[in-house]
Amino acid sequence: MRYPSAKIFTLVFGPLYVLCFYVDISLFRYYPETAQFHWQMTQNEGPPILWYGWLAVAGLTSAAIALLVPPQWANRLWPGWVWLLPVIVVVVILLYEVRWFV
Amino acid sequence: MIVALLIFHGLLAVALLGALTHQALSVASSGARSDRRSFSFFDRFRSVNSAAYATPVVLMFAVTALCGALLYPKYRVDVRPALEDLQLRAPNGIFEIKEHLVAVGLGILPGYWFFWRAPLAPEQARTRRNLTWLLAFLVWWAFLTGHVLNNIKGL
Repeated sequence: MRYPSAKIFTLVFGPLYVLCFYVDISLFRYYPETAQFHWQMTQNEGPPILWYGWLAVAGLTSAAIALLVPPQWANRLWPGWVWLLPVIVVVVILLYEVRWFV
Repeated sequence: MIVALLIFHGLLAVALLGALTHQALSVASSGARSDRRSFSFFDRFRSVNSAAYATPVVLMFAVTALCGALLYPKYRVDVRPALEDLQLRAPNGIFEIKEHLVAVGLGILPGYWFFWRAPLAPEQARTRRNLTWLLAFLVWWAFLTGHVLNNIKGL
């Protein structure tokens, strides 16, 4: 099948994204009050938005992994992983964010 | 500008929600359909060409998420501090979940698109159905959260 790397991207992205926000691996930070991007945490610029940086890390890393995995490996993968892993990721996120409701 | 973007974001979200709900219900139990002709609203709602929705769903999800990302700084500066001042932890929490679920949805799009490409392999029907239902859940969460928060404090 053509473009099997799309499956690998979907497979890797969710767990990587969770890792990024849990460990706070952000490629950059955006400070909306001053409308500035910074590579590092910066003082006196107001609260940062990390979400863009998490997406960037997860997206770029997933794309790199998806391109590196040989297509025959991707084709041999059980298709169920492509929905099962994101479902597990969603459950993990919901469990982690329960902290807002207690 | 922000208001125009918010309205566009909302309208696109409605279209995405409709498309995904049609598609999700159309694949809900395709094997259990009877041969007799049914004319109920529900049956008509389900009887769509599911594969035709895949590419529009991918495009609408991506553009809606992009609009949301552009609106996010305004939310972070104006809305979130207000929620924190009012000690509204639950609305804050559902938005945190929304941002994570939209991210997961963006990651799902390539796989979703892959399994919905023609010709559709019959042995992958279950994967297609589950990916569609998962994406529909994420979009419903994001849509309802956006509405609730906009009702509490609009941009």
